[in-house]
Amino acid sequence: MKDAKGRREFLWKLGIGSGVAALGAQTIASMRSLVPNVSYDAPTTVRLGMPHDFPDGLKFLPDERLFVFREGNTFHAVSAVCTHLGCTVRAEALPQPETKTVEGRPTRLTHRFLCPCHGSRYSGDGANVSGPAPRPLAWFHLSVSPDDGQLVVDLARPVGRDFRLTVA
Amino acid sequence: MIADQKTRSSKAAPAAPGVHPRRLWSVRPRSDREAGDAVVSNFLLHWFPAKSYRASLAWSYSFWLGTVSAALLLLLVVSGLPLLFLYVPSVERAYASVKDIEFVVTFGSWIRAVHRISAHLMVAAVFLHLVRVFLTGAYKNGVGRNQKRQWNWVLGVALLLATLFLSFTGYLLPWDQLAYWAVTVGTNIASSVPVIGPTIRELLIGGRAIEQPTLIRFYVLHVLFLPMIVGFLFAYHMWRVRKDGGLARADRAVASSEPRPAEPSPTKTYTLLGVARGTAPQIRASSLGSPAATVNSIPDLTRRAAIVVLGTIAAVGILAVFVRSPLEEPANPIITPNPAKAPWYFLWLQEIVTDTTVHIGPVTINGAFLGGVLLPVILLALLTAWPWLDRSPAGAAGAWFAVSRRRQNVVFLLFVLAVLVLTVIGTFLRGPYWHFYWPWQPWPELPSRI
Repeated sequence: MKDAKGRREFLWKLGIGSGVAALGAQTIASMRSLVPNVSYDAPTTVRLGMPHDFPDGLKFLPDERLFVFREGNTFHAVSAVCTHLGCTVRAEALPQPETKTVEGRPTRLTHRFLCPCHGSRYSGDGANVSGPAPRPLAWFHLSVSPDDGQLVVDLARPVGRDFRLTVA
Repeated sequence: MIADQKTRSSKAAPAAPGVHPRRLWSVRPRSDREAGDAVVSNFLLHWFPAKSYRASLAWSYSFWLGTVSAALLLLLVVSGLPLLFLYVPSVERAYASVKDIEFVVTFGSWIRAVHRISAHLMVAAVFLHLVRVFLTGAYKNGVGRNQKRQWNWVLGVALLLATLFLSFTGYLLPWDQLAYWAVTVGTNIASSVPVIGPTIRELLIGGRAIEQPTLIRFYVLHVLFLPMIVGFLFAYHMWRVRKDGGLARADRAVASSEPRPAEPSPTKTYTLLGVARGTAPQIRASSLGSPAATVNSIPDLTRRAAIVVLGTIAAVGILAVFVRSPLEEPANPIITPNPAKAPWYFLWLQEIVTDTTVHIGPVTINGAFLGGVLLPVILLALLTAWPWLDRSPAGAAGAWFAVSRRRQNVVFLLFVLAVLVLTVIGTFLRGPYWHFYWPWQPWPELPSRI
């Protein structure tokens, strides 16, 4: 009698337990299916065009949300994505170009950047000046494609603010 | 087997003859008793009590804001159904389908306006309902037994959150500029949480960029998950109101108008239960209230509820004829509108995330985290826990601006005022680049494109 009761109790618990386990496993499987395994996002390495097609000064590339600066034959690229909440900042030309020492080298600043979402301001080298932005705008790595000579930006590779690409 | 049945039945039957021996009612009752139980525990048959306190029904006590919210929810469900057939949740076609609803579909713009106006009003009504409950101390337990009004307050806070999430997810669906940038900012706030933030954002938007996976996720949340959650919470909310003996005002009416009789009071028998159970529960007549303090729920309560529900439907229906729903330019990841504003009920948060980036020496804390995550979470935790922090006497339950709750009411109103002031600043006084402009100051002419 006691054994029968113990067995019934055991089977009851086993049934409930496996039910809960099955439900749990299926819930985890369902939730896991929502985590993407493949990213169909735009590639992070993008060809931007021939270096000599870029104007001296600043060019905004809306698709990459990127500012490309050219000074003679040196180039650098600054992100247009605000470091506060990800809106696209806008460039505003300074009335008088300024010269500022950035990472030990004098840099000519022709613009400043303003964010339309929460009013962050950045100087022409991307340094956050005022507003809620916590960090400077990112600088990205530039290179020249070996096959066709186009300018290539790597949006997954931030670089220091002393980075310059010199095109021969 | 016999022994087992014995232990089971002794488990099922409560020590005292309660009203609900079973958690759920039986669909196929095997006895009169079960049939009686099915009636007793049926939610729909018990939405309203047989008798209501006059004081609870007063317009000036509750302003019927909860009923207004429920009516708006009904309108949202009803107006959402035709929209479900007309809207296409794909990034290529979402904007065009909403444009069709607005300009091509017969009565489409009216249906969309009903949906949109109800959503905006519901945020306001639910918020005002919460303010009313706080100011009247209606989350406090009064004189009734087994009251758990504090838990109904928690349910209410959850319902406010669900309402805000429903609004936010609905906002994205037209896939216009407003939608795209609201979601950019909203999900970046989520990603500002240390360590797990970026993962949360990726889960929310289904990738690293706001794209088709984002739209379908928000769509499913908007039309399926969140309404389901609101449905459950709403049913539970109403059930708790009944379990807690109605509005807190009713407790006051009992306490003030009916001193407990010293003699054992007369009893009353519910025949149905008496027949079904063989035992009639005995209810003190005093708990049913004196005829002077109570009225029959049908028609006194139902009539007022009908006035409120029909009035809300009429007001929204008429308003929707005159107020057009905006549709901005199609979503454009390249251009951020200037200024880019969240919907009005999130503008106080947008104000806060603008002002809360702090620099402590070399360490910078992003305002997105401080103002967008930490502060709202603290406020929400305080709000949720308040019934347990409120030490005022039970007599303060159900009274507007009770003297014993004066200080907390004042502090609460200051918070409400701060939210309202920030909302007004964000709505009317912010221009391009989030600069401050008085209403009479013109905004500068700025190129819309760079």
